[in-house]
Amino acid sequence: MGKRLRIYLPFAANELKRKMAYKGAFYLFIVISLFKSFISYYLWMAVYGSSNQAVIGGLSQSEMIVYVFMVYVTSSVMIPISDAISDDVVKGTVAMNLIKPIDYRLSLISRAVGSMIYNFLAPSVFIWIGVEIYKVTVLGLAPVTVERIILYLISCIMSFLIYVLFDFCFGMIAFFTTYILGLMMVQEALLGFLTGQLIPISFFPQAVQTLFEFLPFSSMIYTPVMIYLGKYSGEMLAFVLARQAVWIVILYVLGSMIWKRVTRRLVVLGG
Amino acid sequence: MIEVNHISKDFVSPKKYPGLRGAIKGLFSNEKIVKTAVDDISFSIEKGEIVGYIGSNGAGKSTTIKMMTGILNPTKGTCRVAGIDPGKRRRENAQNIGVVFGQRTQLWWDLPLSESFTILKEIYDVSDESYREQMAFLNRVLALEEFFDRPVRTLSLGQRMRADLGAALLHNPKVLYLDEPTIGLDLVVKDNIREAIKEINEKYQTTVILTTHDIGDIEELCSRIIIIDEGKKIYDGSLDKLKDTYGTKRKVSMEIRQPYKAKNLDLAKMLDVNTQECLTEYDKENSILTVTFDKHKLQVPQILSAVMEQVEIKDVQIQETELAQIVKEIYNHGAVEGV
Repeated sequence: MGKRLRIYLPFAANELKRKMAYKGAFYLFIVISLFKSFISYYLWMAVYGSSNQAVIGGLSQSEMIVYVFMVYVTSSVMIPISDAISDDVVKGTVAMNLIKPIDYRLSLISRAVGSMIYNFLAPSVFIWIGVEIYKVTVLGLAPVTVERIILYLISCIMSFLIYVLFDFCFGMIAFFTTYILGLMMVQEALLGFLTGQLIPISFFPQAVQTLFEFLPFSSMIYTPVMIYLGKYSGEMLAFVLARQAVWIVILYVLGSMIWKRVTRRLVVLGG
Repeated sequence: MIEVNHISKDFVSPKKYPGLRGAIKGLFSNEKIVKTAVDDISFSIEKGEIVGYIGSNGAGKSTTIKMMTGILNPTKGTCRVAGIDPGKRRRENAQNIGVVFGQRTQLWWDLPLSESFTILKEIYDVSDESYREQMAFLNRVLALEEFFDRPVRTLSLGQRMRADLGAALLHNPKVLYLDEPTIGLDLVVKDNIREAIKEINEKYQTTVILTTHDIGDIEELCSRIIIIDEGKKIYDGSLDKLKDTYGTKRKVSMEIRQPYKAKNLDLAKMLDVNTQECLTEYDKENSILTVTFDKHKLQVPQILSAVMEQVEIKDVQIQETELAQIVKEIYNHGAVEGV
């Protein structure tokens, strides 16, 4: 374990350094994604304003505001790795990774950890604090408890793992089709729905909810945000956390199986 | 050190048709084209050898190298590098080998070179002590300090290649694969790289396999060469033997004083050999008589004395067939007979 950490930690550290080297792109990214959150915010304000119900889909207007911005905070742990895989395949640099005694998936995930830490520390934590202050002072809700923060963070770490493991499997398509840019856009759009990023899953009809909750995607964003909002307790809380853990195992095994097949029929482009 | 047994690699790709109509047809057809990049190649390489692996573009050199590094799996046949099957135990094999692909870099593009080396040290589990020792050696032969703190993307091609070679050697591999290590480099850097390869081979008995299009690389470094063409091995042996067998032609050019006499000169007849073994050409404008002959059949003095019997000579030049010429001929004619 210690040795593994020593091997893969530099990947994370490097990604962090690399991100810092491209500051402009980073700030632009914050502005764009915050912009999206505000669009979402105003949209929901309009929905609640014109509705005669105070609570929609189990969320009050104040909770909805928290939901929108906590989705932003949570989605900063969803670090795509399929773009790196696609890049490696197109440029043939995947060969460079294979000539080293390292595990390709672990190195990709380590890099994603670096990105995640950066994303989380730089914008997300501040926005999180901002949300808390706004929530308590303006919306008049009770501040979040330490226990819930811890549960939320645990759930976030699992979200991160589910997402990268899923995205690794997804990125494997690049080995068969070379380019996956179009598919990546499709994936992003679908995930917007399936993870509860755009609309909380509790807003959907019961049958759709059941289906969405069965899929791994709801575990990526919806679960941690709902934990943060205190919508789960007792057995239900244990269940959603266990469900996240199960998805990690399933996606890990699936990824290993696909990787084995892929390396067997690998075609390295160029050179 | 390396055992390659009847190795083959096929690439299967969907059949493409020309034009827009073809593109549409391609959507519905399921025809496949099988291209054999490497066809039943066997060889074995001993520890400490420097082997030149040469062939024209697309002959299958890189594919073979990729199979030996474990990146590609052979369709048929087996391969062992230091006792390990690289396709099956890729990561163990990776610990034993160092690879430089001249057209690619294995360094981290955005990071200073020093960072790349730090990562590689961890990846290959190099101890602090051997890291220091190896770095001192690499600094001496490759002069890495000059640009050690600069991001890799800002390095010139020559610097990058030195850095890449250094990176491949940090863990002191048993086998070093160099895929066109001198491509696009200037003469001085080429020389440095060659010197470095020689030194490493001498110091650590590192087995080196080198693919190149640069005849200079082969002449300076390789004691043995393997030539492949269209995926098949067509020559495997020492460089001297290749030169001896195929570089049989020598050329003597003579500037002569009495051009009018040159026309009647028939050396083949005079020396009692056929015209294949002794071909006479005459360049009227410069009054230069060129004789191409088989060095196993005739000697230079014989030719000279035969010519001098007839005409007076002003100047003489003797040319050995160059390796480049031999290799070019082999590429053009495909299989070499009698090997």
